[in-house]
Amino acid sequence: MSSVVLAIVLPLLAAFLLQPLDRVAPSLARLLGPATLLVAAWVLAETWLTRGSVPFTVALGGFAPPLGIVLYVDALALLFALAVPVFGLLFWPWSAAGEDRVREQALTLLLLAAAAGLALSGDLFNIYVFYELVAVASFGLAAAKGTARAQVAAVRYLLIGAFGSLLILIGIAIVYTKTGTLNLAQLAQLAPGTLDGPAGLAAFALMLIGFGVKAELFPVNTWVPEVYATAPARVSALLAGLISKLAVLVVIRLLVLVFDQPSAAQLMLVLGILGTLAGELAAWRARDFPRMLALSSIGQLGMVFIAFSIGGELGLLAALGVALHHLLVKPALFALSNRWSGSLEALAGAGRRSPLSAALFVLFALSLVGVPPLPGFWVKLLVLVGLAQQGEALHLAAMAVILAVTVLEANYLFRLALRLYRRADGAPEPPARLDLATAGLLGAGLIAVTLTITPVGEGLRQIAAQGADASVYVGTVFPQPVALRDGS
Amino acid sequence: MTPLDQLLLASAITVALLLVLGHLRLAGPLAVVLYAVQLGLLLNTGIPADGPVAASLAITVLDQPLTWRYDALSWFFALITLGAAVLSAWYASGAWLARYLEEGHGPRLFHGALALNVFSMLLLLGSGDMVSLFVGWELVSWASFLLMAVGGRVAAQAALRYVTYAMGGAMAILGGMALLYSVAGSLEYAAVMAAVPDLTQGQLWALLLLFGGGFAVKMGLLPFHLWQAAAYAETPGPGSVFFGAISARMGLYALVVVLVQLIGLARLDALAVPFTFLDAKDLLAWVAALTIILPTYIALKQNDARYLLAWHGIGQGGYMLLGLTVGDALGTAGGLLHVFNYAATQAALLMAVFAVVHRTGTADLNKLGGLVTRMPLTFLVLLGGIISLAGLPPMAGFVSKWMVYRSLVTEGMPLLFLASVIGTLGTILSVYKLIHNIFLGQLRLEHEQVREAPLTMLVPMLMLVTLVFLAGFIPGPAIGWVAAVQQSVGLPVVQYTLGGIDDPRGSLDMIWVVGVLFAGFGIGALVFYGFGNRSRRVHQLDNYAGGHFLTADVRYQYSDNFYAGLMHLIGSWYRGSFLWLERALTAGVDFAAGGMAGLYRTVQPTVFVLGTAVLALAWVLL
Repeated sequence: MSSVVLAIVLPLLAAFLLQPLDRVAPSLARLLGPATLLVAAWVLAETWLTRGSVPFTVALGGFAPPLGIVLYVDALALLFALAVPVFGLLFWPWSAAGEDRVREQALTLLLLAAAAGLALSGDLFNIYVFYELVAVASFGLAAAKGTARAQVAAVRYLLIGAFGSLLILIGIAIVYTKTGTLNLAQLAQLAPGTLDGPAGLAAFALMLIGFGVKAELFPVNTWVPEVYATAPARVSALLAGLISKLAVLVVIRLLVLVFDQPSAAQLMLVLGILGTLAGELAAWRARDFPRMLALSSIGQLGMVFIAFSIGGELGLLAALGVALHHLLVKPALFALSNRWSGSLEALAGAGRRSPLSAALFVLFALSLVGVPPLPGFWVKLLVLVGLAQQGEALHLAAMAVILAVTVLEANYLFRLALRLYRRADGAPEPPARLDLATAGLLGAGLIAVTLTITPVGEGLRQIAAQGADASVYVGTVFPQPVALRDGS
Repeated sequence: MTPLDQLLLASAITVALLLVLGHLRLAGPLAVVLYAVQLGLLLNTGIPADGPVAASLAITVLDQPLTWRYDALSWFFALITLGAAVLSAWYASGAWLARYLEEGHGPRLFHGALALNVFSMLLLLGSGDMVSLFVGWELVSWASFLLMAVGGRVAAQAALRYVTYAMGGAMAILGGMALLYSVAGSLEYAAVMAAVPDLTQGQLWALLLLFGGGFAVKMGLLPFHLWQAAAYAETPGPGSVFFGAISARMGLYALVVVLVQLIGLARLDALAVPFTFLDAKDLLAWVAALTIILPTYIALKQNDARYLLAWHGIGQGGYMLLGLTVGDALGTAGGLLHVFNYAATQAALLMAVFAVVHRTGTADLNKLGGLVTRMPLTFLVLLGGIISLAGLPPMAGFVSKWMVYRSLVTEGMPLLFLASVIGTLGTILSVYKLIHNIFLGQLRLEHEQVREAPLTMLVPMLMLVTLVFLAGFIPGPAIGWVAAVQQSVGLPVVQYTLGGIDDPRGSLDMIWVVGVLFAGFGIGALVFYGFGNRSRRVHQLDNYAGGHFLTADVRYQYSDNFYAGLMHLIGSWYRGSFLWLERALTAGVDFAAGGMAGLYRTVQPTVFVLGTAVLALAWVLL
């Protein structure tokens, strides 16, 4: 059994140990979370280094698939799984105090454990379980500030989330009745005969909407602006940056392995277009910084869905690019928004009080808009080229929408940038050192990627090629072909 | 290292040095030296007539190779860019910068932004494929945004408007690139050229509109011209000079590369506009003609000298494009030559205006007057500049405009010729307003103590106006560069002599023209001074009207509402339709955004989930 399991188990364990430990040794309890995450990150990094990019499976409890529960570890899963502890450390709730501290840290650990599980799970049942865990933890975190607004937002989030989970469950039920299995590899083999009818498509649609709640899919993302505006900025960063991407990863796995059919891609494309349009338009009207970021993240996620609907290796590469780019940029912006959370008007002059934060904002904004040579440009180019190659009316419409909203994006981001640099009295407090350091680290990462764009692009292409190939997945889970239900 | 490597490296070092040392007093002169080094490197290479100079820098990202090289076209535009950079940096280096510091601005940002503009333009001009073209294009856009925004307040508003337009243009170009890639399978120039013959009419129209529209934004071609005047005029002085001279021409460069070099004018000629008798080339020509007329007449109404010139900059871009679209040797040469001539002219004019602003603190044409006695050299520069801008001999502007007119007539386009003449009429009217309201008429009391512009500003100004005269007197060398450019982009090559154009249908010899002109002036002067009455010099404030002595605080000469009579005739034709369009578009977006924002304020979000699920299932079942 591989040590990869530790990346899920250790944070889970730590989450439950935190409360008792805090009673006995508070100073140890403080260190427990970060230490666990460090170990998890180290385990995953070590796996990547030793195993290279050859995919492998881990059968939990020693039962072989499809009977046993299986973790599937390929480069794509490792990449996202590794992002979990790394971003967990970057956005660790250091500053929470007292009783809240333990609760918030425990919930964060729970969230991260479940997120790692989402990245690595190889069957639908586990994915559902981990998704529910993510949901529970994120409801708690969303309400962490304890203000009335935060609680209202969290309750709405809870309602949508619960409803979404229900839809997922129905979708899973349909899949199970049709195929008799929930193992993704086996589903990949069975799907062509069983799930390409309307029932399969309905199952996909329900699951897409269900997972779409966390992935900020239009139109089940109405909780996003309110929650991100009222939750602690570091929580918003984790939800918008990390958790949404893991939900996207689940959808990607489903689409590649189980629902590889044009109608499914078309559904995603339509919802993606609408999401991009809705998010960016609403962001243009946003009156405060966190809401603006939240709405812009809806737009970016819409672009991920558009990119992925292109299909094939190029589609996956483009979607991966947009998602990872957003993962780098948006959490950093949320970190900056921690102290800059008032109305946009009140931010006048903030850049003069903290030139470094304003410079970072400009850097991230430039990359979001897609100004070469920053990575944001290359991912946008990938998406556009992919869409143009498909060349159908809907794809061209998606292209036009992406191009048009980019103009809007440039307008609202740089309206704010200019406001930051305006001479004004009463500028808000500069961002806290911790937030600034976090944003600075991510900014440095962005620049590093810019400088090494050629090898990074190649690496991503290999990951995408592996991830887009269902036969690799099936071949890894079942080295020897297993008997299918219909006996072939 | 190839010469191009050296040039780009020198330019990159300039950016770095000025960002690091920009706060020093020495940074002003240092910038001049650094730009001069770049110019020296470029001149040392000489115009690459036998084929492009390549850069060793080449990268491949996701199978897209990016390369850089300089051909004659790049060299020609780079020459103007660096010339403008050297002279505007010189202009900035002394008294202007000291004043800029006094006003509480940071010089580092200004120096850095200007250097970044130069570097990004050199990079754009060297682009060897569509991707590097786009990279350069975006860098130029954002570098310009930076230089515009350092002014703050009004300038920042103009910069935001600019960047919105620029992004619109850039996104159109990006869309065009994506379409091109899906057709040609590559974004290298050679592959694109190979794919062009197989393009369908629809694809070609899409590419033409996307690329043409995108590049037109920076050129300020109609209907994308609204951002330019304010953005250029409000930029800090030397930056404004630099922008006015060359920045908008980057759009022309890109248009030449894509429309002339890659697609080819002949292909545009064969592309009919549906339901009309026009083809795509006519369409382009008429866009150019309207760009000449409308902004020039808008310039006529400006009461700020900087805005007046900036609006003209838009109009003059129209002449360049008009010349290019004619497509024959003379017309295209005229269009390209006008880039050079106009750059020198506009830089000289803006320098003169900003020198006046430096001394008097205002560019308001209603608050100036009579400065000719206080700033005679600046007056001379402005006079030379407006003669060139209006396209009159003996200045450079005449040569290039003559070539464009000539080709319009010989190629049988009388209506376009008429349009450009109407434009020139507007230019003459408005530049007269410019020189009159600043330098002629009554000196204002508050300007009694005004002195001539400081030397650091005066020298580059005088150099430019000399250049404008020389390029008019002996246009041969400049036409020589243009001929090399024509050769390299595949246009018919113009026949030229030292004094001008050698053409069997009508040559132009400026040496002869200028000679005759000056002989005429000489005779006139002889008559005036030899046979005229003796004149008596009086102080400018020593005036009488109706037998009454006028004290200096009595205004007896007004420049307000300068062309009242003319405006009575044509005033009602100013409709502001484009402004209206812009506002309508903004309002439309605002309306849509309001709707979307409302979506995210709903109280019952679960309804959406349910509704979506039901809709999705309905979609599946139907």
